[in-house]
Amino acid sequence: MMEKGYLAIVLHSHLPYVRHPEYEDFLEEDWLYEAITETYIPLINVYNGLIRDGVDFRMTISITPTLCSMLADPLLQDRYIKHLDTLIELSSKEVERTRWEPAFNNLALMYQSKFKETRHTFIERYKKNILTAFKEFQDMGKLEIITCNATHGFFPLMETCPKSVRAQVEVGANNYERHFGKRPRGIWLAECGYYPGVDRHLKEADIKFFFVDTHGILHGSPRPKYGVYAPIYCKSGVAAFGRDFDSSKQVWSAIEGYPGDYNYREFYRDVGFDLDFEYIKPYIHKDGIRVNTGIKYYRITGRTDHKEPYNPDWARERAASHAGNFMFNRERQAEYLFDIMKKKPIIVAPYDAELYGHWWYEGPMFLDFLFRKLHYDQKTIRPITPSEYLAENPTNQVSTPSMSSWGYKGYCEHWLDGSNDWIYRHLHKASDRMAELANSYPNAEGLTRRALNQALRELLLAQSSDWAFIMKTGTVVQYAVKRTKDHILRFIRLYEDIKANRVDEGWLADIEWKDNIFPEIDYSVHQ
Amino acid sequence: MKRKIKKADRLPLKAKAKKKAAAKPVRKIKAAPKRAVRKIRRPKAPSELIGTGAIVEAQRHKAEETKYYPRPSAYMPPRQWERDEFRSAYGDTKVVLMARDPHWIFAYWEIADARRMDIAREANAGWDGLRKVLRVYDVTDIEFNGANAHKYFDIDITPEADNWYIRVGEANRSWCVDLGVITPDGRFIMIARSNIVSTPRDSSSDVIDEEWMSIEEDFLKLYGLWGGFAGASPGKAQIKKILKERLEKELSSGAVSSFARPAKYRGFWMVVNTELIVYGATEPDAAVTVQGRPIQLNCDGTFSLRFALPDGEQVIPVKGVSADKEEERTITPIVKKHTK
Repeated sequence: MMEKGYLAIVLHSHLPYVRHPEYEDFLEEDWLYEAITETYIPLINVYNGLIRDGVDFRMTISITPTLCSMLADPLLQDRYIKHLDTLIELSSKEVERTRWEPAFNNLALMYQSKFKETRHTFIERYKKNILTAFKEFQDMGKLEIITCNATHGFFPLMETCPKSVRAQVEVGANNYERHFGKRPRGIWLAECGYYPGVDRHLKEADIKFFFVDTHGILHGSPRPKYGVYAPIYCKSGVAAFGRDFDSSKQVWSAIEGYPGDYNYREFYRDVGFDLDFEYIKPYIHKDGIRVNTGIKYYRITGRTDHKEPYNPDWARERAASHAGNFMFNRERQAEYLFDIMKKKPIIVAPYDAELYGHWWYEGPMFLDFLFRKLHYDQKTIRPITPSEYLAENPTNQVSTPSMSSWGYKGYCEHWLDGSNDWIYRHLHKASDRMAELANSYPNAEGLTRRALNQALRELLLAQSSDWAFIMKTGTVVQYAVKRTKDHILRFIRLYEDIKANRVDEGWLADIEWKDNIFPEIDYSVHQ
Repeated sequence: MKRKIKKADRLPLKAKAKKKAAAKPVRKIKAAPKRAVRKIRRPKAPSELIGTGAIVEAQRHKAEETKYYPRPSAYMPPRQWERDEFRSAYGDTKVVLMARDPHWIFAYWEIADARRMDIAREANAGWDGLRKVLRVYDVTDIEFNGANAHKYFDIDITPEADNWYIRVGEANRSWCVDLGVITPDGRFIMIARSNIVSTPRDSSSDVIDEEWMSIEEDFLKLYGLWGGFAGASPGKAQIKKILKERLEKELSSGAVSSFARPAKYRGFWMVVNTELIVYGATEPDAAVTVQGRPIQLNCDGTFSLRFALPDGEQVIPVKGVSADKEEERTITPIVKKHTK
């Protein structure tokens, strides 16, 4: 036993289900395309590089059922290729346009070659489905993939609808099984949202562990002896891991965090906004709305409007030194904790995956350096997955975590607020009605069965925490409101039509075509 | 592209309800108006369908339904499906509680028309004249039967309100609410009783498992580890303060997600750039180079190139060679740019 502690890096990758076959070009679908180009494929490249070079590493990643469904969807896969092709075209034009400005010209060349490589990786290597990449890393034992609530429903505000909580867990776990060929051992609770009792539904789905924010563990009862540095078992026997604050802060914090370094790439300067309208028009939204293209030429530079060109070599150097700093701090932390605890602490560091690459461009590179350094340069901490930890440390204290989330102020305020509180009476009512349907039609067949399954899809889609989140954040409020209402209204009509035995097949087929998530769904999980 | 974001989707009834002065424990909670100018992304799909009044909603909803069938088969529902959507009424009589954080709970309710009439009859008074209240019970660790609460308090609610944020102010307690009226002669008549919710803890538990005892100071060290592990272990009060500060920092989810990208505020700013367009025409089958690099001609022999133009002098020889290589011509624009 050489090491003094464990480090569990956890990435949560999630996007709400946005797929609109009824429109040729739909702006919000870009969220997925940006995330693939800027986060998921760069992460895959990091993992492949580590494996190629014989660097042993461990990481945990949640890929939410909505995201899995989009990544596996042929329509979105083809649309992504189209999206990439326009990016390649734009970057080629940029190579020409910047001919007299070497600093920008080098960057244009960099983007051009990255986009081309991305295209190759996506199409040739993974045949358009990058889930196979993650599955390979999991099968090699390097990566632990965990599931999430089926549509990212926020559990603390669903406490009066336990059947929906159960359905979110069960549908999520089944979806995982379909994509990754086995049952999930762990789950990322959407927004880290936990209330005492959620764990019983996890137990039912044979899930072994989940994560809560720091105060969820520290305010657990009885008081957890080791704080967040050892998991606790809920009475149901499911383990809860708590988030370490220090390692989060170093990466997340806008002020103290690494991503604010002046040498890193500036997120807010994008050619989609910076260049002449007529020139950029073919590469932004068809209605002329300027959008981020992903081609960004500047570094953060400082607290100033004046931005200097990005220098990839400088940024790379910073990423290496930040990785070294992060590792150093974790080593000292582990030694300090080991002294107090007299056993090896586990430092759990969870982040939104999209932080790495999409927001913090150099983030994947940081992870690359970090795992290389951890492997070669030290022996104090060992990267680990939660499953491995539990296998090595099967005895843990029994305690009940406290209701909590990792949202603003740590509880439910972001999702329950004057901007979005109107949705809950509809969500709760629909949940009650779904339970009523599932119990009244236990063995439905044919058209009724299809309608019941679709009703559950609509309910789950309405429950996505993202809609309430967006309403509060104020980004694309109208879209979020519309999605909530659409799904609720479709649910209401299904409910009424099923009960009146007048399900209209043409209409049903139409919404099955639009809201096609979870083909494997079985409404009886909502009984 | 910048737009001001409007809070367009608030229900007017509710907004009104909350502006009224209310009983003491209640505070106005509003959506924090974010005024910052930001870039927003809008769907191509027409999504400006969100009206406020129920009637507007219903009309728009009709338009919406037709928009939803863009496929060639243009499916039309055989039954006219109309609905006063989201009028917040399902014909139920109920009150539902949700816990928001250690100090606040949220109630929403609905009262069926028939029930209102019954209540008015029972109270022997007109519905509109009756005082509507939420009676908030502390039911921590008891089997609540309506009469055995540890304590309760009443909140007067405005007649048109259908939801309320209630400041209970105590963490780790359980709460139940009766929605009711108070009759002119002072009787309380319950309309509906809520579910029970518990406010979460806001500090560490005093319950210690003997098997897992630790020295108080060690626990505080682990607890207070945030913010660095060099200092002496902080006291409990200090830890509570640290916790509060840390929870208010946005170290949380969504702060970076693509679908809820934080807005970047900037003050007045201006950028000026220049580009140069070099264009011309020759025989469609000629070979043309610009600054020594071959370019692709359009099929009519025209060409157009666009360059970002930095300060300084650009010498741009454009050379055309005929297809049979017999003739060639070079034209060299020289462009000087400087910025004051």
